[in-house]
Amino acid sequence: MEPVLKAVNLKGGYLLGSLYASASQQGSYVDAVSDVSLELFRNEIFGIAGESGCGKSTLIKILYGYLEPPLVLKDGLVYLYTKEGKEISITSTSKEQLKKDVFWRHISYIPQSSMNVLNPTMRVRDHFAEMLKLHANMSKEEAYKEAGKYVEYMGLPRDVLAAFPHQLSGGMRQRVVISLALLMRPDLILADEPTSALDVINQQAVLTMLRDSQESLKNTIVIVSHDMGIHGVVTHRVAIMYAGRIVEIGKTEEIFEDPLHPYTQALIKALPRLGDKAQREGLSGRPPDLKSPPLGCRFRPRCPSYGSQCKEETPTLIEVKPGHYVECWQYST
Amino acid sequence: MPSLSFLKSIGKTFIFLYKSNFKLRLGFTLILILFILGFAVSPFSPTSTRTWYAVPRDRPPSPEYLLGTSSMGRDVFWELCASIGKSLTIALITALIASHIGLFIGLVSGIRGGLLDRFLMFVSDTFIIVPGFLLLIVVISIIKSWITIPLLGAIISIVSWPWPARQVRSMVLSLRERTFVYTAKLSGMRTSKVLLFEIMPYVLGWHLVNFTNTILFSIGTESGLAIFGLSILGDNTLGVMLYWALNYYALFRGIWWWITAPIVTLVLIFISFYLVSIGLSEHLHRIIG
Amino acid sequence: MLHASKKSLLEYLATRTIMYFATIFSGITLTYLLVKAMPVDAVENIIFGLTQTVAGVYDPQSINKLREDLYEIFGLTGKSPLEDYLIFIRRVFTFNFGPSFISFPTPAFELVLRRLPWTIGLLSVSTAITWITGNLLGTIAGYFRTKKFTKVLESIAISLYPVPYYIMALILMLLFAFLIPIFPLGGGISVIPESINLELILNIIWHSLLPALSLILPGALGWSFLSSRTLTLEVLSEDYTRYAEFRGLPGKYVLRRYVLRNILVPQVTVLALSLGGIFSGALLTEVIFAYPGVGSLAYRAAFAGDINTLMAVLILSMIAVSTAIYLLDLLYPLVDPRIRYR
Ligand SMILES: Nc1ncnc2c1ncn2[C@@H]1O[C@H](COP(=O)(O)OP(=O)(O)OP(=O)(O)O)[C@@H](O)[C@H]1O
Ligand SMILES: [Mg+2]
Repeated sequence: MEPVLKAVNLKGGYLLGSLYASASQQGSYVDAVSDVSLELFRNEIFGIAGESGCGKSTLIKILYGYLEPPLVLKDGLVYLYTKEGKEISITSTSKEQLKKDVFWRHISYIPQSSMNVLNPTMRVRDHFAEMLKLHANMSKEEAYKEAGKYVEYMGLPRDVLAAFPHQLSGGMRQRVVISLALLMRPDLILADEPTSALDVINQQAVLTMLRDSQESLKNTIVIVSHDMGIHGVVTHRVAIMYAGRIVEIGKTEEIFEDPLHPYTQALIKALPRLGDKAQREGLSGRPPDLKSPPLGCRFRPRCPSYGSQCKEETPTLIEVKPGHYVECWQYST
Repeated sequence: MPSLSFLKSIGKTFIFLYKSNFKLRLGFTLILILFILGFAVSPFSPTSTRTWYAVPRDRPPSPEYLLGTSSMGRDVFWELCASIGKSLTIALITALIASHIGLFIGLVSGIRGGLLDRFLMFVSDTFIIVPGFLLLIVVISIIKSWITIPLLGAIISIVSWPWPARQVRSMVLSLRERTFVYTAKLSGMRTSKVLLFEIMPYVLGWHLVNFTNTILFSIGTESGLAIFGLSILGDNTLGVMLYWALNYYALFRGIWWWITAPIVTLVLIFISFYLVSIGLSEHLHRIIG
Repeated sequence: MLHASKKSLLEYLATRTIMYFATIFSGITLTYLLVKAMPVDAVENIIFGLTQTVAGVYDPQSINKLREDLYEIFGLTGKSPLEDYLIFIRRVFTFNFGPSFISFPTPAFELVLRRLPWTIGLLSVSTAITWITGNLLGTIAGYFRTKKFTKVLESIAISLYPVPYYIMALILMLLFAFLIPIFPLGGGISVIPESINLELILNIIWHSLLPALSLILPGALGWSFLSSRTLTLEVLSEDYTRYAEFRGLPGKYVLRRYVLRNILVPQVTVLALSLGGIFSGALLTEVIFAYPGVGSLAYRAAFAGDINTLMAVLILSMIAVSTAIYLLDLLYPLVDPRIRYR
């Protein structure tokens, strides 16, 4: 399997400086991504799951390489492998350079709040045209023509092009944003909660669009969602995050059929199943405050079966079955 | 005594603000100096500042006449001190009247809402759109011969209340949306009590900002009216000083100290009250958000 | 999809137009009420003042006519209040403010009309320049908010913002009279023209420079600058602007197409709201620089107690300012697509 992205030992979070914090929080650090390593392959849909505040969006931003204060990367490396066979080190390339050569051509990003990411005073077609002009050196006329063809190819009605963003429904806007991200045929698309603001019908449409485009373009899509149901439907592999760490990675089917980490087991158990009338039991307790995460295993305070080791030492990811990794002392021998 | 502890807490807030905010510190200090010059120093004038030819005319600044003398034979320094006092008096009267009318109308409008709100806001919009300065010119032209310092302050407040009213209203509207007012209402408090206990503390802070801004507006308006010859030309105000200096072509005759003194003082007044106003609003934004 | 748009645009225009007339009407009513609230002997006071100062200019007959006019204007004809009000309204809508005192018997309305182009010319040109430069500077300052020159500009703006236009005019006068005496300090033109030619126009512009500068400076570095800077900071934190940068669009392009374009919408409102203040400031500027506009006329009228002319100035200015705001409102749908199609 050909890799598209490799992330090694990422440590990053929010440094709350004087500008962003009140006196009591002065200089504190939110440890939102801790020791995350990850490999993404060409031609797959990869999911990142986990409850709200566990650091999914932060991880995505670090992978994309566009860090704005107060987000800082303390340690770690991210490599991107393009279809032309080039290796790009995202973590050691300047923001300006990334803007010029990498973003949108090789990697694109769909932010979490993508309902409001289109310029309210610009027509949809100009959003496509500006990217085409920037990355493909097209003239305005060429770009409009190309945008028309492209939108039809993506299965959107042609008249969205002449509309202003506020005239479109939420689902349509989300599909425009996704089309925009796919426009330059990048190797990797990072989609942060692409469906969470939508109703069920629109969720279906957006997910279908993502899956179909992936099938025809053979690229890699990362879908971040707190909804395990979505991962079950579209992703090939999935990573489970808890309190800033990846606690389990594996094939989606394997994770659903044979979850290893106690947190994953709880997540899967909580899923509603057809014909099952039993009360779904959730986890008790709340995730830790990432400003001062617990020592040892971060899941320990909520874990139904922790040992003495869990209190002192932080576990690491180990490969239990081929391609199935888990971070839990239960599985280390 | 509760009132004593209330005063104490106000004092504490004041000292805290004074220490923490540079804009406020600078503004307060300048205003303090102006008040001292206008009210404590000015009564000690050795010569009359309202009669003609009390001192030799057109003398440049010197140890004897700190800021020189005017073509009307007045000591510019002492005239300036008296003018600061009178101008501030006019402004304080305007601010007292206008900001309280504004507070009342803003509260009524914001709390009652509905048709009354629409009507009040239409009236205040009219005041905002109509050139208020010209309105004052017409009014004062009619009653020119009866005008006094308090009356002038009161007349200027005719056109100065709409801004505070709008401000208080929008404040009340945004506070009404906040949960704590809802919880208070749900817990069975009467509307008037909700108002008194929940909204007032926040509105009062902004009321102070409005008060400061109205002072600024009033001083500016008085000097503008005076340039038109529509102030109390026999008395001392900063505007009247400007009027006479302009009328005697002080600038073209090289008596620059006569006209420079009120101009510089006015600029200092504007800047100092403005600093206090933005310093206060910064603080309020920080504590209320 | 864009079906409802035409109708809503019409609706928008209709409400604006109604509001326009309502404002003028309520402004006139306001004036009436204020004048009516003045002490009762105002008319005799004015007549007395006139006969004292310019005795002999008026024959008894025209004085009587004047007295009648004044009683009507003040709404003191002794008829019912409603009738008084209707008479007042009729006079205003027929632009019949009676004869001026300062150049008797020329109608006051005519006097004002003659001066109006000067004022509108000065005001429109300097406001346009103020608005454009202020917005550009404010946007740049907001975009480069951490740079040194931004801090300098901000300090200047904070000191200039609270200073009224006419004080600024006096300061400029001080500066240019003593330090750099290049501009003419007063008047509209230096020679009486025989015909309109290029030289005359240049001469007028040359004389208007200082008054214009005194209007532009506190605006472009004051209200216009500060408001556009605040708006820029807001727009910069919007999702769409941040996403534009995330997509790799160059900074200059984002500044132009995203930031500047989006602050334009609220800045039109800011301009409309500040017009009244700018207008009043311009009147005093005219007086200070002896510029031959409405302000100088009002000055002479106020000096002579010419209430008719002052009334004409007030009502016509009210109409001029409201019209300017109305026209800005009509411009609004052009800059905000959300209004055009809502
Ligand atoms: N700008 C910020 N400043 C400070 N802390 C932040 C900031 N953004 C996020 N955090 C904190 O970092 C942690 C991780 O946040 P992140 O947004 O990555 O979570 P998430 O998994 O995407 O959650 P969600 O499902 O709500 O989007 C949280 O504890 C959050 O409070
Ligand atoms: Mg997130």
